[in-house]
Amino acid sequence: MSRITVALAGNPNVGKSVMFNQLTGEEQHVGNWPGKTVEKFEGRLDFLGKNMLIVDLPGTYSLSAFSQEEEIARDFVKKQKPDVVIDIVDAASLEQSLFLTLQLLEFGANVVIALNMVDIAREKGREIDSKKLSDLLGVPVVQTIATQGKGIQQLMIESVNTVHRKKKAKRTFPKSVSKRYEYIHSIVKKCQKETAVGRTATERLDDVLLHGYSGYAFLAIILLLMFFLIFGLGDITSGYITQLVDYFRQNIPPEISSNALFLFFWKTVVEGIIAGTTIAIPYLIPFYIFLAILEASGYLPRIAFLTDGLMHKIGLHGKAFIPMFLGYGCSVPACIGCRIMESEDQRFLTAFLATMIPCAARSVIILGLVGAFLGFGWAIGIYAFNILVIFMLGLLFSRFVLTKPIGLIMNMPSYKMPDVPSIFRRTFLQIRQFIVVAFPIIILSTFVINVLDFFGLLDHISGFLSPITVDLLGLPAIVGITLIVGFLRKELAIVLLAALLGTGNFAEVLTPLQMIVFTIVSIFYIPCAATIATLAKEFGWRKAAFVTVFEIVFAITLGAVAFRLLPAFGLF
Amino acid sequence: MALESREIEEYLEIMYRKKQKGEKITTTGIAKELSVSPASVSEMFKKLEKKGFVKHIPYKGVTLTRKGENAGRSVLRKHHLLEDFLMMFGLKKRRAHRDACALEHALSNEAERAFERAAAAAKSGNAKPLCSLKAGQKARIVCILGGVGACRRAMELGLTKGTVVKVLRISKYGCPVGLLVRGTEIAIGRGIAEKIYVGVLE
Repeated sequence: MSRITVALAGNPNVGKSVMFNQLTGEEQHVGNWPGKTVEKFEGRLDFLGKNMLIVDLPGTYSLSAFSQEEEIARDFVKKQKPDVVIDIVDAASLEQSLFLTLQLLEFGANVVIALNMVDIAREKGREIDSKKLSDLLGVPVVQTIATQGKGIQQLMIESVNTVHRKKKAKRTFPKSVSKRYEYIHSIVKKCQKETAVGRTATERLDDVLLHGYSGYAFLAIILLLMFFLIFGLGDITSGYITQLVDYFRQNIPPEISSNALFLFFWKTVVEGIIAGTTIAIPYLIPFYIFLAILEASGYLPRIAFLTDGLMHKIGLHGKAFIPMFLGYGCSVPACIGCRIMESEDQRFLTAFLATMIPCAARSVIILGLVGAFLGFGWAIGIYAFNILVIFMLGLLFSRFVLTKPIGLIMNMPSYKMPDVPSIFRRTFLQIRQFIVVAFPIIILSTFVINVLDFFGLLDHISGFLSPITVDLLGLPAIVGITLIVGFLRKELAIVLLAALLGTGNFAEVLTPLQMIVFTIVSIFYIPCAATIATLAKEFGWRKAAFVTVFEIVFAITLGAVAFRLLPAFGLF
Repeated sequence: MALESREIEEYLEIMYRKKQKGEKITTTGIAKELSVSPASVSEMFKKLEKKGFVKHIPYKGVTLTRKGENAGRSVLRKHHLLEDFLMMFGLKKRRAHRDACALEHALSNEAERAFERAAAAAKSGNAKPLCSLKAGQKARIVCILGGVGACRRAMELGLTKGTVVKVLRISKYGCPVGLLVRGTEIAIGRGIAEKIYVGVLE
């Protein structure tokens, strides 16, 4: 028996991923759409003896190919010709949802409508006659509440029946958008009864959460909470993993652990794996969970709403705020978070700027070197300088290199309780995907650097780098090594600096100016290996290489300028 | 030179349209549309590739680069604007379309914006941009300037001519405007709200 392909289509925020999760359960697979950076979720379902492949199309408002997501959804419907397209329609905003439905019908797709979130529609005083809607559109309509699993059985029965029905001819509808909406309006008027209700919970919540003062206060609380939980939880897990590894290592019999071959193996291979597990994974898991909660609860669009004005100044829009903020924790989730941007250009610009925000590891350098030896004011100054530079780069790049930003337009969905199982399942799949892609790169780069170190080649390299470190930046030659190691772990740079200089009291060996220059270079200099791996995964190798090279050159330039300008202004 | 750049723009516009419709860019397809020989189309493709507007992948055909896409979009936007403008002054659609085809290549970006403002003023009478409304006001959409990119997206979300919208939230600080459109709350950025002209109802 041949397999039935079922595509899930629908607007963003209509409960598509919950529906997908309900249908496929454990049988899921995540990958990328061929040649795209958009994730592709696929799953299998055996239903009534039929073997089905469920493909979750990206959430879109239309199929006119303005964004990558729309192009993917359209190409899939048009070229792969799935046996059934389940169009998940938001019962609470029927008119907007039907716009996509008409396009699907135009492509000749075998459509079954899942009229989802009928409970929320009822809350808004809207009752939809699904029989009538089905007659008017000529396709099966099933009422569902995906979060409670209601109506899904019926939906699949209709889907199976639809496969066997005779293929429908392509339908045509009014061509212009306004005429089309008039047509949709006439359909909706016939099948939707509206009773006036008081203000909904969402509206009342928004009065507070989108308010000029309380909205921002709440946003600040949520962000700080998220920040501390992600990095608090991450630190704890990371600490436990490190302890566990140390424990193992100490329990290895000395005759093995002192063996040169073992040491070599440990330093080159095992430490790479440890680096990956202790740096990225502990922070990524809570990050994915929080992002999914923000998304599923409907708060994410509110964040974009509140920060849109600010982000517009650097050529981005409100949605970019979240990944940029996450950059203060770790660049890896920040780059991944850029997926919420619509256009490829904006996605890349956001990631590019986010990699220059000092992550927790770089904050260790700022606070441990500048903060501890020059005073807290200077540390704050470094942070402020960093924001200023990012702001200016954003302005420059958005004005001269990339296309004009597309303004913010989005649906403000009702607040919902997030569906816990689908959040956890999605997080698990995404983490697995990260391990597959990023781990080999982290391990390989650790291997290379440690092999160099093992054979004492790092000293030669620092000598080779001395024209940059000594002549351009005015730093001790030995610092060159820390910059290379910083490629692996930024916070290691300061640890190593202490080891190389032979003292933790940096005031003895570095002048205040050298500290400032070293810190500036460390902040902007090269994203770490994990970040480069993520950039490559999200944007391809060419763009990852661009970011890497640009940031190296940019950091050295900034450092060289600071080295010459600061004394000229009478500082130091 | 001028003639050549005009020809280039014409090609880019057609290719951008095709891309939007999801059609493949083929030599014969373009030749038919422009009523020229396929040979001159492939010659033009070579020229466009040299200038970085298109990429030619063997066995896969020609695709627009980002540079080409931007240029094509800009021409198409001007075309829509001019067509709109000419029809407003009573020209028939067919005539307006042809003239727009000729004029679109001569219009600078500055002139485009000036036309936009004039079109808005002429079309809307006492209409004002959506962003100047107060919370709680209802208004009917008179016209949406532009028509490509973000404005097109706004239309797809139901903000079409004649639609009644209610302003739910609006602030002074450049925040987006919260609107009730066809029973759904939608937020639109300031930039787009400035391009949507409405007649206030209450």
